[in-house]
Amino acid sequence: MWQQVELALSQSAHRVLVKLASFLPGLLALLLAVIILAAIGAGVAVLLRRTLTAAKFDERLARNATAVISDWSPANSPTALIARVAFWGCILIGCFIGISAFDAAYPGDSPISNFIIPYLTHSIGAVLLLIAGTVIARFLERSVLIGAVNAKLQYARILSLGIKWLVLVLTAAMVLDHLQIGGAVVELAFGILFGGIVLTLALAVGLGSRDIVSRSLERSADLRSTLDPIPGDPDYKPATPAETLRHF
Amino acid sequence: MASTQTNVDLTSAPATSASGLLVSLVPLPQEAFDATLSNLALAFPDQTVLVATPDAVPQSSSGSPLRFLPYTLTAVSATPWVLTAADYLNTYKLARENNATACVLLGAEAQSLHPEAIRALARSALESDLTLAHYDLGPREGLVNSAIFYPVTRALYSTRPRFPLAIDISLSIRMAERLATTAQRFTAAGQNDGLLWPLSEAASANFSVAEVSIGTRTLPQPAVPDLNALLAHIASSFFADVDAKASFWQRARGTQPAQSLTQTATIAERPDIASMLDAFRLAYTNLHEIWSLVLPPNSLLGLKKLSVMSPDTFRMPDNLWTRIVYDFILAFRLRTINRGHLLGALTPLYLAWVASHLTLISNGTAPEKHIQDLAVAFETDKPYLVSRWRWPDRFNP
Repeated sequence: MWQQVELALSQSAHRVLVKLASFLPGLLALLLAVIILAAIGAGVAVLLRRTLTAAKFDERLARNATAVISDWSPANSPTALIARVAFWGCILIGCFIGISAFDAAYPGDSPISNFIIPYLTHSIGAVLLLIAGTVIARFLERSVLIGAVNAKLQYARILSLGIKWLVLVLTAAMVLDHLQIGGAVVELAFGILFGGIVLTLALAVGLGSRDIVSRSLERSADLRSTLDPIPGDPDYKPATPAETLRHF
Repeated sequence: MASTQTNVDLTSAPATSASGLLVSLVPLPQEAFDATLSNLALAFPDQTVLVATPDAVPQSSSGSPLRFLPYTLTAVSATPWVLTAADYLNTYKLARENNATACVLLGAEAQSLHPEAIRALARSALESDLTLAHYDLGPREGLVNSAIFYPVTRALYSTRPRFPLAIDISLSIRMAERLATTAQRFTAAGQNDGLLWPLSEAASANFSVAEVSIGTRTLPQPAVPDLNALLAHIASSFFADVDAKASFWQRARGTQPAQSLTQTATIAERPDIASMLDAFRLAYTNLHEIWSLVLPPNSLLGLKKLSVMSPDTFRMPDNLWTRIVYDFILAFRLRTINRGHLLGALTPLYLAWVASHLTLISNGTAPEKHIQDLAVAFETDKPYLVSRWRWPDRFNP
């Protein structure tokens, strides 16, 4: 009996050691790939930064007035944006190479190969989705807020927050779906939340615009009753000062 | 100082020989085109003048001083109320092909220009590299120019002309060439409607600059009067130009002598500034977070005080507006936030300045005096911009 127990224990210990021995080189390969590609990425970024600075890339871009790239570079110059993209691109490639190397260390039918590796790849995709979603949410929030304020909408803040949370909820749902977490519960929760936000926005905008719509209708009615009075007409009123304001 | 300025008197001696003069016209309606040609014929009665026009050319009589150079528009301009890169490039090409020595560009609504004004522009082109028109505007006109373009250009480039984006200008051939070179960068990128800032170009090239008072003129207005989009479009171009010429204006020194004030009329009745104040207060409530990324605490405090002022006493101090504009130029350069957002956030502040300006002039202050005082405030505060441009991370209360 004890012999069988000992045998079973030694066999499981052996299996653990074998698994560990085959796991460590894969992990080492992954880390090495990421580190080497990060170093290459840093080198490429420095090289790009120096080359573009020497070529006065920012000034040329500004002169040519192609503002698309420069608009999207957050707090630095387009040169910095390109260098950063190159650096993180290299790290991403390193991750993919590392994962492939990690995957190659296992036979095709092992659980790690079948489950963990694809999940790891999905996790990277999910992180990218999360970053992109957050950036887009912030961008849209500010765009809507500024646009709504300039359009003199009293509910500008609610509208911008609504847009921000719509995008964030959509991103969260996409991330969870990408990671295959939650299944139908996430879809249901997303539907309820998304619908709820849209309904809230519709109510807020609808109620907030009630006065505007009434005023607009009243104006239309007034206009119909006094159509285009001409100078000399008793109803004629000269242009108000606000109407003659010329900004350009 | 980078350039010299002269004011050309309309009442002085008749025009010198205008041989080799090219007058470039933008597309005009038939009636306006005919009136402009009549004015040109009156302006140059005994000289041959080349007239470049995209419109259908009439049969010229044998005694007419006008020789037409028809050209074909490559694209219809989306901003026909200002001179664009395509206009400058086209004018230079025609001038070079026809051996013209000077060019006069007349913007839209050119039929409202007096023949003497056109003649004065042409005469000035023989003496100065760049001549800009000076318009007599009402107190409620050209407000963006008065609030931003004029004071900033005067402070940064030490130049005097009142309308940096004038639509009637005359150029020497070397100035036309320089502008065409700049314009080509825009047209090569497919941006025929790109805006050029001739005054800063002339100042940075050390070319001579003059200003001609042409009196009243019908100024063309944008087809779509969307202030937010227009202000963002033009201010973006202006700030980008300031950024591109930073190496020049950081060295430019000196202030301009006081300009003789033109007698623009004051406002008799109280202006309606309620909607502008509402827009500013709404923005103060909602955009405070975005402004705080761009403006230092001192300016934010100034805006807070403004937000609670009553309409009767609403007054934005000149130094506050100066700091706001300079900080927005800096934020544009540093890309503190997305440039579209930045320029969108400027609109309510500009409306607050307009409300303040209208309130001030309705209380008896001459409009032009306020504009000149503002320009002096920009000149006085220029070291702040230069300092923050060079050391943007330095502590700024």
